[in-house]
Amino acid sequence: MVKFTAEELRRIMDYKHNIRNMSVIAHVDHGKSTLTDSLVAAAGIIAQEVAGDVRMTDTRADEAERGITIKSTGISLFYEMTDESLKSYKGERNGNEYLINLIDSPGHVDFSSEVTAALRITDGALVVVDCVEGVCVQTETVLRQALGERIRPVLTVNKMDRCFLELQVDGEEAYQTFQRVIENANVIMATYEDPLLGDVQVYPEKGTVAFSAGLHGWAFTLTNFAKMYASKFGVDESKMMERLWGENYFDPATKKWTSKNTGTATCKRGFVQFCYEPIKQIINTCMNDQKDKLWPMLQKLGVTMKSDEKDLMGKALMKRVMQTWLPASSALLEMMIFHLPSPSTAQRYRVENLYEGPLDDQYANAIRNCDPDGPLMLYVSKMIPASDKGRFFAFGRVFSGRVSTGLKVRIMGPNFVPGEKKDLYVKSVQRTVIWMGKKQETVEDVPCGNTVALVGLDQYITKNATLTNEKEVDAHPIRAMKFSVSPVVRVAVQCKVASDLPKLVEGLKRLAKSDPMVVCTIEESGEHIVAGAGELHLEICLKDLQDDFMGGAEIIKSDPVVSFRETVLEKSCRTVMSKSPNKHNRLYMEARPLEEGLAEAIDDGRIGPRDDPKARSKILSEEFGWDKDLAKKIWCFGPETTGPNMVVDMCKGVQYLNEIKDSVVAGFQWASKEGALAEENMRGICFEVCDVVLHADAIHRGGGQVIPTARRVIYASQITAKPRLLEPVYLVEIQAPEQALGGIYSVLNQKRGHVFEEIQRPGTPLYNIKAYLPVIESFGFSSTLRAATSGQAFPQCVFDHWDMMSSDPLEAGSQASVLVADIRKRKGLKEQMTPLSEFEDKL
Amino acid sequence: MDMETNYEIASTADFIHSQNFTRAALQFPDNLLKDSTRIVRALRAKLRSIRDSDGEHNGDSKDVGLFIMADTTYGSCCVDEVGASRINADCVIHYGHTCLSPTSKLPAFFVFGKASISISKCVENLSKHALTSAKRILVLYGLEYAYAIPHIREALREASTYCVSGTNLEINFSSVICTVINPSEDHKSIHGRAGGCTANESFDKVAGTRYTIGGLNWNIPEGHKMEDYLLFWIGSDNSAFANVVLTFNGCEIVRYDATEDCLVTDVSQQLRILKRRYYLVEKAKDANIIGILVGTLGVAGYLNMIHQMKELITRAGKKAYTLVMGRPNPAKLANFPECDVFINVSCAQTALLDSKEFYSPVITPFEAMLAFNRGSQWTGAYVMEFRDLISYFPAEVRDQSEEARFSFIKGGYVEDFDQPETVNGEEDKEGALALANATEKALKLCDGNLNSVIKGTAKSGAEFYLGRSYHGLEINGDSSPEPFMIGRSGKASGYEDEKSKQES
Repeated sequence: MVKFTAEELRRIMDYKHNIRNMSVIAHVDHGKSTLTDSLVAAAGIIAQEVAGDVRMTDTRADEAERGITIKSTGISLFYEMTDESLKSYKGERNGNEYLINLIDSPGHVDFSSEVTAALRITDGALVVVDCVEGVCVQTETVLRQALGERIRPVLTVNKMDRCFLELQVDGEEAYQTFQRVIENANVIMATYEDPLLGDVQVYPEKGTVAFSAGLHGWAFTLTNFAKMYASKFGVDESKMMERLWGENYFDPATKKWTSKNTGTATCKRGFVQFCYEPIKQIINTCMNDQKDKLWPMLQKLGVTMKSDEKDLMGKALMKRVMQTWLPASSALLEMMIFHLPSPSTAQRYRVENLYEGPLDDQYANAIRNCDPDGPLMLYVSKMIPASDKGRFFAFGRVFSGRVSTGLKVRIMGPNFVPGEKKDLYVKSVQRTVIWMGKKQETVEDVPCGNTVALVGLDQYITKNATLTNEKEVDAHPIRAMKFSVSPVVRVAVQCKVASDLPKLVEGLKRLAKSDPMVVCTIEESGEHIVAGAGELHLEICLKDLQDDFMGGAEIIKSDPVVSFRETVLEKSCRTVMSKSPNKHNRLYMEARPLEEGLAEAIDDGRIGPRDDPKARSKILSEEFGWDKDLAKKIWCFGPETTGPNMVVDMCKGVQYLNEIKDSVVAGFQWASKEGALAEENMRGICFEVCDVVLHADAIHRGGGQVIPTARRVIYASQITAKPRLLEPVYLVEIQAPEQALGGIYSVLNQKRGHVFEEIQRPGTPLYNIKAYLPVIESFGFSSTLRAATSGQAFPQCVFDHWDMMSSDPLEAGSQASVLVADIRKRKGLKEQMTPLSEFEDKL
Repeated sequence: MDMETNYEIASTADFIHSQNFTRAALQFPDNLLKDSTRIVRALRAKLRSIRDSDGEHNGDSKDVGLFIMADTTYGSCCVDEVGASRINADCVIHYGHTCLSPTSKLPAFFVFGKASISISKCVENLSKHALTSAKRILVLYGLEYAYAIPHIREALREASTYCVSGTNLEINFSSVICTVINPSEDHKSIHGRAGGCTANESFDKVAGTRYTIGGLNWNIPEGHKMEDYLLFWIGSDNSAFANVVLTFNGCEIVRYDATEDCLVTDVSQQLRILKRRYYLVEKAKDANIIGILVGTLGVAGYLNMIHQMKELITRAGKKAYTLVMGRPNPAKLANFPECDVFINVSCAQTALLDSKEFYSPVITPFEAMLAFNRGSQWTGAYVMEFRDLISYFPAEVRDQSEEARFSFIKGGYVEDFDQPETVNGEEDKEGALALANATEKALKLCDGNLNSVIKGTAKSGAEFYLGRSYHGLEINGDSSPEPFMIGRSGKASGYEDEKSKQES
């Protein structure tokens, strides 16, 4: 640990070239937090006065209990490079002192919103991959996110200790495994490559891949070994590095390098010969307590042990020796300092991704140059609950300018539109705070390139916001974050004691603030709903709600509720007609399902209400086989004007049609939000206006006549087009050894899931299973699975798509009709669906 | 039961005669119109006979004018004063179900009608239920059963003397405020909410809290809460009952249905309504344009209420429009698609409109107060009547926390329009920000998007209409206007330009 005063820390913050903001990302259980801890133990900055009695790993009780990270935590590290190691560093720098702001993020997919928030305020990412399990779903997800944010990655192959102790594989086999892991990661990175970011693939021979054992606290990059051997072989360090990886073989007998295995017994791959074997040897000697052999070896390596450490035995000894020989902190930190960009480098290319406004205005330039004297641009990525109940720190990154205590700032919320007053506040920062370990220290100001926490703005910021100087009225906000998961699992909460309602309301507000993903809403029936990304996420949220945000007042939660969608199977069997209340106007309509993939295209925003009509009609005609003219006749999308349903005008020569368009659109927005089956949102339905008969007097065809009629005719056409329910489906990825497969299959079968991919990970006894699982069946899935496989299988569920339920909800007694009745009951509607005759009129 | 007693012909005639009214308006709901002519005939006969009996000195006076009014354009439970003043009536006789809301100008006499009830069975049910419940019982009833209450009371007393164990039976009865409402008296009772009851007053003047709802009132001794009572409702499941359930949602409520002769203990449906109202309040908080529906022209204080609502809405930085449209229905309200929510200012029993069919929700003034008063919170208490409402929010509690409002509909914090302006007001003035603010308010280019057609984005009716795709007649901007020409003038027999032809 590094003991610092706030002033000293503040001093380094000014050296923008010597700062590295980085996050640690990985699949769950690949050892992020353990690795982070070993870094913190060595280089973590703590306040001078509390040195000694602070534990960095002191996180939330539930995190420790479950063994997973829930909230991302930021920690500052300090590292002083030696002149020697910096001599090959080409970038700009101010001295040898480096400040590393590191954010440890959760790996469980339910909390990937935390990862998103962390990525936004960092420039580099340390991707941790388990050397045995390899690249998993979540690794891919976070990598994709990172590259989308233009975050440069470096890789560490973690859990090396498993190779030596558990699997005991020989050098060549281990090399192949590592090679494969790195290759897999590179494939993903290459897919999401970005010209501005340049080559983001990682290469061990360039030093962008580390090999680590987080649990034992050691790590190395090929640089470490190259340094060691360079002098011995009398070659250049970089040359040596290249020899230590890939198709380079060394035969000690002939002392020659070859690019092919010569086949002699002594000829081994450079990596195996010079890196793997020595480590293996040391570990084995330690584990076997062959101390007489060990000390000379260590001496040769230049490792000196303290006398009391010499008495250690077995594993403890091994750990100590390895930590001294190849300390994780220096290997990883040097890798980050060398290969990850400083804020000033990163912001040069990130500005395009970050800034919404014109890229040549002063704000864009200030961000681009990371200009501490420019206008303030600060992005608040999350709100962190403070120790005093009910207050929050606004945590974020200064992209340009500097933020100081007492500064008046303009707060631009997510709904802010430049030039309007919506979602805009001007307030003063009460305090600027930086974290020193667990302790918050108030500082006078924080310059750009750093992360900072602000006090006194929590009332005006929901989840995130862009802050700028009071007078910078023409600044545009920084682009909002895009989350990779969506809140699909919902529970209704109510308080046990009715009079606690105000507490519940207050608690829900705070919950909504504290978590980037959770959504607190209210149902039509008046129930409060908390929606999260998954079961675990919800569980944590509700626990927070009850314990932290409601002061322990008891709440009752309902069973998890899944929202469905309503769609249609085929075109309406006939054109349906509804009359307006005054019987003078008639609307004729038909419903049909949207072409496959079109609803997704609308979801992704490829097709939307703001498209250029030409571009839209091009996509529709080329990809979905629409008529070119028809594509121009889309009236609107819905619900909420952007949803995956639409109204298309198919009428010919109808008088006054444009006059009622707005009313039909309004009726459609209303109806598509509350479908005819169970008042769930509609999805993937195209409504075609076939004919319209209108009264000649404008007053008799006003909104009052047309809006309710449009709604009714939409319902009627939905019901006549074989309505179906869509249910949300998870993509589940499970990794388990062979003997657990039987259990996994039986649990999946029982839960209506089906496996579509099963691959054995090469070189491991592990299987990788991918399956689809209905969200509604996923409650209790992970615990059932754990029970059925005696804890060997751990699923990762991510919302994947909407799946049509084959049974007919209109047929009494079918599965879908029971479901519809349940939903209607929960919503307090009449259990019986409204019959078609209520919506359709006869001539 | 014959018509005479059912429609209280005698007492009605007495009321008209004793107050020397000369023109009486008889207000019938639609379902009683069929009896109206017979009632008028009977009433006229009765009035004549009364006049004859004591009419020595004013024998020459005219007959009392009796006018039948059909159902009002508003709720039939309220007295239609506007309709009555059209015929210059000086009193109103109201038949059928009523909410007994105070009138503002005319005295009114109420004939509740008498629904049949089996007293013995009712008493049986009541006492049986009373024995099983540990709470005290308070009996409330539909006004059509008011006539039977003394009998029930009597029967109950007898029953409890027979029954030995029934000594600890404690049953309280509420009483009907009055069958006559005089506007002058009731104005007092609007301000001092207790007191002001004329007929049927049978309460001892005990200290305690007085409750009034839907024409019923009762006292609760000090130290007791409403929650300590079990409410026993005699009558059908109508709006009056819904009103009681909503107002006393903390109490246990049992309903005795006299026509079906059964006890209904499950009022979850009504409580569900309460939850739904809660949702509507949350929804109303997000509204920008509010329509105030004038749902009554009779209930005392309605004008005050409308003014109060307007003031409330303007203060909340929203836009209000007042609409008079009689009884609201979905088609009428959908003619105002720009309104995000409607406030129905009407008597307690017609104010609740289940708004599933309505394009925009309809809420009560009480709910509006909850929604638009920042800092006020839904506690579960529910107030329906105007005079209670005025006292419910005694002094404007402007608990200005300055915090952005959390919208449960959108699931996040939202900004209320204009709100920050008033809040920032003082600090802005001194700073150079004033100029910046001014420029911000200057003209800005609107992109012609469809967005404001979608509910809740427009801030005023004008803005809403601007957002519509149809702006009236198609004016093709590219074609230049036709050059103007001087038209013809003169007579059809020969226009001025044709004159020359004629002459020739």
